[in-house]
Order: sequence, then structure tokens, then C-alpha cells
Amino acid sequence: MSEVVVTGLGVVGPFGLGREALAQGLAIGEPRTVEVEHGGRNRPVAALLAARLTANLTALLPPGAARRMSPPARFAVAATRLALADAGLASGSDTAECGIVTGTAWGPPWVTEQLLSQILLKGPDAASPALFTESVANASAAQMALAIQARGPTQTITQRESSDLIALAEGARLIRNGRCERVLVGVVDEIVPILHSLLDRLRALARPHADRPERARPFDARRDGFLLAEGASVLVLESLRAARARGATVLCRVHAAVAAFDPSAPAHDWGSGGIALATTLRHGLESREVATSEIDRIISGASGSRRGDRLEAAVLSALWNGRELPPVVAPKGTSGEYGGGFLAAAILALAGSPIAAPAGFEKIDPELGVRPHAGPLPRPKRALVSALSAGGTAAWAVLGEP
Amino acid sequence: MSSPRIAVTGYGAVSGFGYGVEPLWRGLAAGRSAIRPLSRFDSTRYRTHLASEVPGAPAADRLGRLSLADRFALAAAREALAHAGLPERLDGPGAPLTGLYFGGSTGGMLESEGIFAALLAAPGGALRARDLGHLAAQPTSGPADAVARALAVGGPVQTISSACASATLAFGNALDALRTGEVDLALVGGSDSFCRLTFAGFNSLRAIDGVPCRPFRAEREGMTIGEGAAVLVLEPEERARRRGAAPRGYLVGAGAACDAHHMTAPDPRGGGILRAVRAALADAKIDADAIDFVNAHGTGTPHNDAAEASMLRELFGGRVAELPVTSSKGALGHLLGSAGAIEAIATLLCLQHGLVHPTPGDGAPDPALRLDLVVGEARSLPSARYGLSTNLAFGGANAAIVLERAG
Amino acid sequence: MNAELAARLKSLIVATLHLEGKAPDSIGDDEPLFGGGLGLDSIDALELVVALEREFQVAVPEGKVDPEVFRTVRSLADWLSARLPAATGELVPASGGSPATRP
Repeated sequence: MSEVVVTGLGVVGPFGLGREALAQGLAIGEPRTVEVEHGGRNRPVAALLAARLTANLTALLPPGAARRMSPPARFAVAATRLALADAGLASGSDTAECGIVTGTAWGPPWVTEQLLSQILLKGPDAASPALFTESVANASAAQMALAIQARGPTQTITQRESSDLIALAEGARLIRNGRCERVLVGVVDEIVPILHSLLDRLRALARPHADRPERARPFDARRDGFLLAEGASVLVLESLRAARARGATVLCRVHAAVAAFDPSAPAHDWGSGGIALATTLRHGLESREVATSEIDRIISGASGSRRGDRLEAAVLSALWNGRELPPVVAPKGTSGEYGGGFLAAAILALAGSPIAAPAGFEKIDPELGVRPHAGPLPRPKRALVSALSAGGTAAWAVLGEP
Repeated sequence: MSSPRIAVTGYGAVSGFGYGVEPLWRGLAAGRSAIRPLSRFDSTRYRTHLASEVPGAPAADRLGRLSLADRFALAAAREALAHAGLPERLDGPGAPLTGLYFGGSTGGMLESEGIFAALLAAPGGALRARDLGHLAAQPTSGPADAVARALAVGGPVQTISSACASATLAFGNALDALRTGEVDLALVGGSDSFCRLTFAGFNSLRAIDGVPCRPFRAEREGMTIGEGAAVLVLEPEERARRRGAAPRGYLVGAGAACDAHHMTAPDPRGGGILRAVRAALADAKIDADAIDFVNAHGTGTPHNDAAEASMLRELFGGRVAELPVTSSKGALGHLLGSAGAIEAIATLLCLQHGLVHPTPGDGAPDPALRLDLVVGEARSLPSARYGLSTNLAFGGANAAIVLERAG
Repeated sequence: MNAELAARLKSLIVATLHLEGKAPDSIGDDEPLFGGGLGLDSIDALELVVALEREFQVAVPEGKVDPEVFRTVRSLADWLSARLPAATGELVPASGGSPATRP
């Protein structure tokens, strides 16, 4: 079985284009937000992270094809070009056999909304064929494949907040079992006001308060929800053999991926099955010959949600048997939930980028006993990356130094 | 060390023929069609008016928190577990580590559509809690989550949403997870319910036939949409025998590849599906010669059927004239994301019974395709050992699996 | 060919198909719309059909869309003129860019 490494990273997100922009944002810990208006509801507008407003993608998109791409497809194709450049690869012979695995929590909501508006408000005959072709969750993957003429296996994962790590796992699987030497793993999501409104009504999002700014506060005593984000991150995964053969720079290794499910979770929230999840995770790590004693960093998917962060803390505590955890970083406080910022942050952390404690963190929650690490840290040797979903899915990855 | 043989030990299905595998096989073997005038919603303003809907499915407004797709999935999953001789819940001491690998396209879209209409017309308006639940159930991961929750699955749960290839791709992930011991048991399948978005969408592409779809026929003009769910239980053969469960068949190979040709139209020469099939055959460690029949994607659209036939001729050469080909879509319509799962069950049933079910649809097979299409009556093939099942998707994703008879 | 109809068609093509930065009057009357410099494909053809049906209140026949009708702006204008409500070829007033709402 081949070892899997990451040799390139492309990012389109609220901090702009390219991984360096995100790295700078993560080093400071302050999210970049804009405001969204939704539907005249009688409450203050909420903040979101909007990649499309800060990025000029035109130069990165194939001329002529962009006009039919949904926003997520544009994010994904632009991030693909950045990733390939970062990896020192060109489209063509470098990408002809490439596999593509994408992960998305919400697919393309703007296109879906337009299409439904047409069908439901104007009539079925008003449905736009072009919008329909872009409305499938795998449209981004298809556009990526077209842009770089990649003909390897492709699949799109739609498993909520764990889509990123599951996509990473399936991409790594294709390399480990010898089906591909190279796979692009993309994580992409898009925000529209109606999605924001829906999540807000489900009380999933961080709320504004009179006495403190609206913030995602992972693990904080007064956390009240996550910050919605959009964008795309694309990783170039290769077999170690292929990477060495072409003298590629390795950003990190992908040692293992484990996933599990918590049946105690209601459909749209996190459950309370932390101990069972930790048991499954422990067995998974053992069978992949990863010892928790080797893990010197936790790159936590805690996002600021009340129950999600509680579950996350319970899993970590159980996995370490109540002992002190290695330093924990919580990038979603800065990069938000969805859109690939989290997976990119994990890769950046392994490549040596500092992940500051999110600016919103004020006070440790005694029930959780976890806090994002403040202060400088050395580059991790081996990091556990976590992504627990509302609805019960849980996914982890173990990344290692190059 | 060679990897373990992966057996299918149970399956369950919900289709236009009703709830259960038994009515599914009866309908398929008899060459009946489950395509009828649609009744889920008013089709007056749509270009076409047919679908393969699940008879007796509960009305949308009586569903509560679970979507119709969730319910189909639960019914299929429970039937599959019972068929496999497994308990209704997969937790507790000594329980196998179970993964769930689903393909899907629609999730809770049907339920969301009505609510969307209200929201779009009055964005600030109040939403009932149940409506909110339905809207939030819209993610394609809904059916997988619902089944995992009800059955207390503890291992990996994933949903693939790669249009028509989704469920077939899920088989590939599950197969590898089982072979490497990542999980002890896998539930593989998918669920989709008939909804306005896909119906209007495919109609806008003029991809739907005005009459029941006619896969591989000369006069074919498009697909028919279907709905339903299918779930299969897979585990290493050794594990199955140890617990006294008989294999119903084997999943021996899976492969996938991308066309990178066009967002909707397939590569006319079937390049991507050919690569996917070759990968599946290589994975199964068999030659194309070993394949006894093909359960094709066969949607009934002019382009898909031509591209797929081109692939079959390329792969099988002269033998294609005598290689039975069928398309379950002639009977069941196109289940979109879950098509691959129900078609896998159809393929296994054909292997078990030594019969290739016919492809319903009016008109003579298209002579230009030069296929040996099974029409009218089921084709007796008592020595059939290997069946190939293929799926070609929107966006150029292609996937194929090879199934082997038990015994 | 009616020049006003041709101009309206060109604007419709640019707007409907999101040909950003393309000036409508830069599309030649006899320029091949498909397989040519505009890079339009089968989905664009279908998209145009939907737009034409709404803008001009005509029905494009079922079954395959005849590629010849869509070959150039001229062929499209000719086909359309023969089907517009007024027998003399007078135009239905332009709807100002937003498709008429059907009841």
C-alpha cells in the first residue's frame, strides 16, 4: 500500500486567493466577515464570510466555461489551478490520470434556489437547462475535471460538516489501494442568504449580542454557534513514490483516516455519544498503528456550536483517558464552518503555519476543560484532525510532518 | 496476501413494483413495467407525465420529520438486515463495526419544495418547526443519516452525490473498506424520491421520453424518472460463514473513471465508462470474456445508449452480438443517485435465478447499436457466473461493478 | 430579415447565455452560433429555447430541436418571424428583459 502525501494546496476563501492569504489570517486569529441581509426579518443582520466578494477569480477560470459555472464550481476550479501551481504541476499529462474527490455540505445553493424559484414561482417550463446541469452536487468536480482534463475516478461526498475529511480519506484510499498516483481533493461550499436564514432559524449560527461582537468561539463558555463560511480548498494528494520521483515539495503526510457515527445525534444537532465515538476512534487508530502518545497536536473541528464543541471535548477527553491533551488549535474560529478553510488550515499547520487562538475566545468552559492554545507552538510532528457533523457523522485524519 | 472475498448476504428494495425484493423480482422477471402516469403532484404544466413511483407511498404532508427518501431507505435497510439474518440494531457488545455507504441525488428535496415556495415568496415569513425540519432534511445525507441512526450504525457513514453513478461509486468505497478490514460489515445502497426539481430539470433538457423509456430501442427519445431505495449487506465471506449466513452473491470488482468531455453529454465513444469497466474487471481479476451478461445503465436517451453500446462493442468485440444486455430502467425508470444500488440487486437476482430479465420498452432494438438486448421474455442463462453493472453520470462520472453468483 | 428582430435576438443571446463582455451587435447575422467562435453547445441551445418561448410567446416543437433553425441569427429570425402572433411579422413589444409571467 502506498503512502500518501500532500504536495500542493490552493485556497479560495474569505481571506482571498492562495494559501498564503489564509495562513496570514490564521496567524492573527481574526475572521474576515461581511454582513448578509436576509428577508426582512426583524433582527440584526448577521455576519458571514464571503469569498466571492473578496476574490477576483476570472484569471483562474477557463475562458468561456466560467459563464456556466455556479459559484462553488468557480471556487473549485480556481482553487484547482492554485493547487496545481503550488504543487508545480501543469494540466495536461500531469493531470490526465488524476482522480478527483470533492466534499460539499450544501452543494450549490444559489443554483438550486434559482431553479426552484423558476419551477415553483413561474412554472416547470421556466426551468433553465443550464442551471439544472449545475445543480448537481458533483458539478464542481465535473468542472474541475473538464478544466484540467482529468480522467481518473471521481466522486463527490455530501456528508455535512465531515465532508472535508471524508473526501480526504477517499482520496487517500484511491492512492493507497493503487488506483491512482495522484488525486485532487476539493472541499467547496457556498453561502446564500436563504441558507444563512435557515441555519440561523435552527439556532446553529453565532449570534450578535449587545455586550460582545458576533463571533465563533470554539470551546468558549459563552459560545453560541458557528460562523458560516464559503470558498474552496483543493489539495494535491500523491503517492510518496510519485512525489519523490518528481522532486515535489511535500507539505505533509496523510497517515490515517477514521470515521464513525453517533446514533444518539438528532438529525440537525450533535449527540452525546462521545465515549462510543472515542472507542471507535481508538480502535481505528490502533489498527492503523497510530498511538495517541505520538500525537502532539489536535487540530480540532470545534466550530463554536454548543453541542458540537461539547461532543468534541468529550471525545478528546475519552481518547486521552482524562489525561492532559496535547495543544489544541481550533481554526474554525477564524476560518468558519464549510468552504474548505478548515482542511486548508490543517495542512498549513503541518507545513509550519501558526494557528492563533481565535480572537473570540474569552473564557474556558469548565464543563469542557479545553481551550485553544494561545502562544507560539513548534511545527507538529503528528496531528489529529477532527470533523464532527450535526446528524451523527464523525471523521478524523492523522496528518504528519513531511 | 490476497484480500478476502466479499459476499452479499442480504438485500432490501423499494421500487415502482412496491415494497420488497420479491415484488421487484416478480416484476422484472415477467418483463413488466412499473412506469405509470405520475400522481405525486400535478403534471399538467410539465412536458411529460410519466414516472415510476412507489405505490402506496405516504403523502408528503403526513411524513413528519423523516422524508420520503428517508423512509424508503429505512424500509430497504430493514429488509436487507432481516434477509442477512442480522438484528435490527447494529450496536451492543460483539456487534460488527458497520459502515454505511450510500449514493443519492435528492434527499429530502420533495418535502422542501413546497416550503421553498413559501419561503421564496415571503422570505421573512414564519416557518413551522416541522417545515424547518424538512428544509434542513434536504441535504442528500439525510437518508444515510436516518438509517444509521435507526439501525445504530457505529462505523463510517458517507453519502456520495455524483448523480447517476452515486450508488455504484459507493460500492467501490465499501469494497475497499471491507477488504482492508476497516469495517466488518457494510450497508451499501441509496434512496431517492421523485420530486419536481429533477422532473422539471430533466424535462428542460428534453431528456425525458413522452412514453415509457425505451432503452436501446431504435425510437428511443429519453429517460423516465423512477424512485425507491435499495440496500445491500456486504461482509467478508469468511465472516458470513462463521455466523451461518449464506452468501447471496459476491461483489468482486469495482472501477470508476471520468469522461472530462461535457457537463451532461457522455463521451460518444464511451471512453470514460470503458475505463471504469476495465478497472472493475482488473479489480475482479477477470477478463471481459468472463462476463456473462450486462445490466447496463441504459437510460433510453439517444446519447447515453449509443455511448454505452459503443463501449460494449469496443470491450467485447465480436462477442457483443451474443452477450445478453438488459436495462432495469425499462422497468423501474431511472432512480438517479440510487440507481446503481437497485440495479446491483437486479443483477444479483439474475445471477441467482440463471435468468436475465428483459428490458421493457416499445419498439425494436436499435440495429445500429448491434447489441443482444433481452426483450419480451427473460433469457435463460443457467450457467451465468459474472454480471457487469454500469452507470454513467451527469458530469461525466462513470462507475462499474462486477458481481458473481453464489455457489 | 427584420433588423429590429435580429438586434433583439442578439441581445437575448448575450443576456440569456451570460456571454459577459460580448457586445450584441458584434454577433454577425450569418455567423455560426454553434461550433463557432461563440463556443455555444447543446445546453445553450436548450437555454435559448426556453428564453425564446418566454420572450416571444412561441412554442418550440417537442422532440429534438432542429439544429438548422439555430444555425445563425438570420435563420433564427426567419423561423421566428413565421411564427409570431401578427401575420404581418409585427413584433410583440419587448418585455424589457424580464420574461412575461404566465398565470
